[in-house]
Amino acid sequence: MADYTLTAQSPLGGFCRTFADTELSEVTDRAIISMAIPEGGETAFAERISSAYSCEIPKPGQSLQSSADDARLVWMQRDQFFLLPKYTDHNVTSAVHEKLGDTAYLSDQSDSWVLLRLSGPQSMAALERICPIDLYSESFPVNAVSRTVMEHMAAVVIKEGENSFILMGLRSYAHSFLHALETSLTNIAA
Amino acid sequence: MSQINRISSGLIDQSKTLNFTFNGKSFQGHPGDTLASALLANGQTLVGRSFKYHRPRGIFSAGSEEPNALVELRRGALQEPNTRATVTELFDGLESFSQNHRGSLERDLMAVNDLFSVFLTAGFYYKTFMWPKSFWEKFYEPMIRHSAGLGRLSMQEDPDTYDKGFLHCDILIIGAGPAGLSAALTAARSGVRVILADEDFLLGGRLNAETFNINEQAGSEWANAGVAELASMNNVRLMTRTTVIGAFDHGIYGALERKTDHLDSSNGKPRQVLWRIYSRRAILCAGATERPIAFGNNDRPGVMLASAVRSYTNRWGVTPGKKVAVFTNNDDGWRTATDLAARGVEISAVIDSRRIDPPAHVSGAEIHMGGQVTDTSGRHAIQSLKLSNGKTIQIDCLAVSGGWSPNVHLTCHHRGRPQWRDDIAAFVPGGELPPGMFVAGAAGGSLSLGDILSEGHSLAQQAVKAVGKPPASDDAPRADNELSNTSAFWHVNHGRHRAWLDLQNDVTVKDVKLAHQEGFRSVEHLKRYTTLGMATDQGKTSNIPALAIMAECTGKTIPETGTTIFRPPYTPVAMGALAGRARGSDFRPRRLTPSHQWAEEQGAVFVEVGMWMRAQWFPQAGETHWRETVDREVLQTRESVGICDVTTLGKIDIQGRDAATFLNRVYCNAFAKLAVNKVRYGLMLREDGIAMDDGTTARLSETHFIMTTTTANAVGVFRHLEFCRQCLWPELDVHLISATEQYAQYAVAGPNSRKLLQKIVDPEVDISNEAFPYMACGDITICGGVPARIYRISFSGEMAYEISVATRYGDALIRALMSAGEAFNAIPYGTEALGVMRVEKGHAAGNELNGQTGAHHLGMGRMASQKKDYIGNTLARREALCDDNGVRLVGFKPVDKTRSLAAGAHFIREGHTATTENDEGWMSSVAYSPTLGYSIGLGFIKDGQNRLGEIVNAADPLRNADQLVEIVSPHFVDPEGEKLRG
Repeated sequence: MADYTLTAQSPLGGFCRTFADTELSEVTDRAIISMAIPEGGETAFAERISSAYSCEIPKPGQSLQSSADDARLVWMQRDQFFLLPKYTDHNVTSAVHEKLGDTAYLSDQSDSWVLLRLSGPQSMAALERICPIDLYSESFPVNAVSRTVMEHMAAVVIKEGENSFILMGLRSYAHSFLHALETSLTNIAA
Repeated sequence: MSQINRISSGLIDQSKTLNFTFNGKSFQGHPGDTLASALLANGQTLVGRSFKYHRPRGIFSAGSEEPNALVELRRGALQEPNTRATVTELFDGLESFSQNHRGSLERDLMAVNDLFSVFLTAGFYYKTFMWPKSFWEKFYEPMIRHSAGLGRLSMQEDPDTYDKGFLHCDILIIGAGPAGLSAALTAARSGVRVILADEDFLLGGRLNAETFNINEQAGSEWANAGVAELASMNNVRLMTRTTVIGAFDHGIYGALERKTDHLDSSNGKPRQVLWRIYSRRAILCAGATERPIAFGNNDRPGVMLASAVRSYTNRWGVTPGKKVAVFTNNDDGWRTATDLAARGVEISAVIDSRRIDPPAHVSGAEIHMGGQVTDTSGRHAIQSLKLSNGKTIQIDCLAVSGGWSPNVHLTCHHRGRPQWRDDIAAFVPGGELPPGMFVAGAAGGSLSLGDILSEGHSLAQQAVKAVGKPPASDDAPRADNELSNTSAFWHVNHGRHRAWLDLQNDVTVKDVKLAHQEGFRSVEHLKRYTTLGMATDQGKTSNIPALAIMAECTGKTIPETGTTIFRPPYTPVAMGALAGRARGSDFRPRRLTPSHQWAEEQGAVFVEVGMWMRAQWFPQAGETHWRETVDREVLQTRESVGICDVTTLGKIDIQGRDAATFLNRVYCNAFAKLAVNKVRYGLMLREDGIAMDDGTTARLSETHFIMTTTTANAVGVFRHLEFCRQCLWPELDVHLISATEQYAQYAVAGPNSRKLLQKIVDPEVDISNEAFPYMACGDITICGGVPARIYRISFSGEMAYEISVATRYGDALIRALMSAGEAFNAIPYGTEALGVMRVEKGHAAGNELNGQTGAHHLGMGRMASQKKDYIGNTLARREALCDDNGVRLVGFKPVDKTRSLAAGAHFIREGHTATTENDEGWMSSVAYSPTLGYSIGLGFIKDGQNRLGEIVNAADPLRNADQLVEIVSPHFVDPEGEKLRG
């Protein structure tokens, strides 16, 4: 038994608050791992993703839901994808490496981001106050993903469902990011 | 007091009564009233004093162009000056006050200025306050400043909050008058996403103020039904109380929505929201603004724009007078006479400057075709007017119409210049419009309702097609085209009396003539010399008449004379709205380190480093000065062990088969052969050979590296690497991702650092000097299996390690380290002690990597490889960057060790004068070294490496602090590096 033990903390301590019928809550059951395709390795990567996660590689601006590990695959940039499996342990890299082998360069990003879920009828109105991208269904359908900037903070927006969004902010900004969202929800409340 | 001028209900709700005050006096109005309509209903004609001459002024218009009726609203910190009564929506409990007078509004002591008006002409203060010279600063300027401005600020912080936001649409329609509604209906029925914005709280524009019919329905009812249809469609966003203030690039428009200005209290919600609207197409339906005619004493309360008189009567059920005269140069002015007469208001006279047949019959009114008003009388309100034929007519309201000026403002925000149309004597949008913009209705110069409606309809069809949808096959709304002939008649030439152009700034016809006489003939000069068209109304009613007069003076045409530039915002915007949420602690986001909460608990003093909050030092009980704390932190670290959060340094995860090649090209020193589990210091140059950033990079496997950057350059370096990867060498297999946030990283420094870490690392991990020497790194586990990475690197010059864990363990790790360190009297140290120790060790930092220094200057010339190509390689060979006699980074210590060194001092050879020619370099960083017991510095001096021991003058003439310093090695502490490797 070690003399000291380290207890993990989520960026916002499992924050959850409802604003009338709209809920803002921290997502704490996800790991995030970046997968970069080696030069010339597109086919091998696609095959392994297909066998391990039973889905294709998402297209630009798109994310896909896999049945394996309840994982979401998110297109991030050319040759780079994020995988968000349901996984809370700290060794996600080796777990994913077992599935993908060397078909992708893996980099653990689980501790780089704060994940917030904003869901409910006021979600769009709240995001209107800070999010410059057009979130309407026609231009941003379910599963769409976009990098953007909110209140000077880099962010990623993933549309999980109509009126339900996963918002990724950088971990060191977590409190400011939360404050921006809470302020928006408070400002629009009737 | 009863509403003596209320003659019908108009479009207000008379079933409810609202109480309000003006200068403390109680009045009543109704929902749907503006402050102006309610004041007029109550017979309050006098509402303010003019800017310069303190002349009595009344309500002039019925819209946002109002120059006169500026009032202060609310009390205390909520007090807001210079608000226009004509666009202030009445609410129960509204408190309003007139402004710009000393003493009461009725007996303003400053009205004495009017007697001296002959001295107060345009530019008077440029000419008047010339002597004696010494009076300017102490007397004239304070006096002018005291007189300047209109309303008063509360001088308290604005208690309201403001917000911003982003909206997107296919078609933005600006203005919800007849053109805007017609366009919005067609666009909305076509299924495209529509935003319809209007500054008014009631949509319909002039339809609510006129008695026109559309599709055999009263205009206001048609508008009401149209708005209801639009409101029921989910592809439409109706925005009332929203002014589109500017046309920016790429179809982006700014819009200010007033959320709570019409309410007694904001209830903690944002008062206003400044929207950024992204549109694919925009249809400007901003309407037109009526302009006055200048004649003698035309500024008295009761002299109003003819359309405004009609608006108050038709929309608000208020007659601004009991005996009304109309003075017009066009057909539209006549409608004021006929509309008011139809409601039973006595029309005393209609004076038309044109010698034509009367275009309408007005029962009971004297008609003076070819007539002109030359003068008016009445102290606090107009009582009579005088005609050019000498006749005097008793009246209490004079409605003036000088024609209409299309609101072209937004069409000019990309520097478009409007074009003159003789037939309507007005400027219309011309040249290049902002891309994607259409202009419909009066804003484009169409001044008859039938034309306006069909234009809105057809331009909406065009806009719908332009966004790729088939337009709806609805019919354009139908209406007759009313008479709208006009003439170019700007001012009455009779008489000696002052004739006002700009009521807000007290600019008269005479001032324009004076400006011409004195050579200020360009419209831009005219504006600045006379202050014409400045302040809250931006000359909406005055600019065109004034430049018409300038055209007369110069003998040019009006289009040759031109207009001044139109700039956003269209109407005034509160500074609070521009700031939005960005106030106080919300001015910008904050990045917190993993140890932030723990550091707060220790009472740390924080410093902003970019957006990061870093602990600067950790004061202990009894310490009274920051130096005392920092000295202790340095000494204790050097004696035993100190811990510092270094998470903020940039970390970049670099992977790929060509990662080593990539690093070898971006660093000036060799990296290709760095062994796995080793760290190397690297210096990165810019393409021009100047040092960009430095840091250490560790090799974790053949294909995997982790680079650290300075805190300040973390983003810049990442961007640079992405540029290199994507643009310079796309053939390399290299992938980058930031890992700055991923790992909490602590420096553990001092002779006891190893002993401390041995208590944390798992038993099987060997970090002895043999197994884990200086510049080693590796993945280990700590505290019973938690993965960690450890680097044997040092910035302090001590034996030191940096240990990183997944950020989730960051808070727990600082607590564990401090707890394990108790046995060694371990202390946390902040950025200040970090800085002191790096100066003692002679490490370059931001002050040395200042964009002027290359590898040679930093003493790293030999490190820069001669055997490979790398970024900056070529230009670093420029003579000035590798000259042997160039400046070199060396240390400095004061000859008089009781004195402190100062960064910024320049080095001069002893005995030489402190001139630019004799300048040999500069001091870049200084610190008090508690280790040595005196002030030390780093700096650059010519040929520094060969001058150790020489005494030079550190000249500091600005602070009068010259002193002699000795050139020494930059390595004040442990120059041989024995501690590091211990």
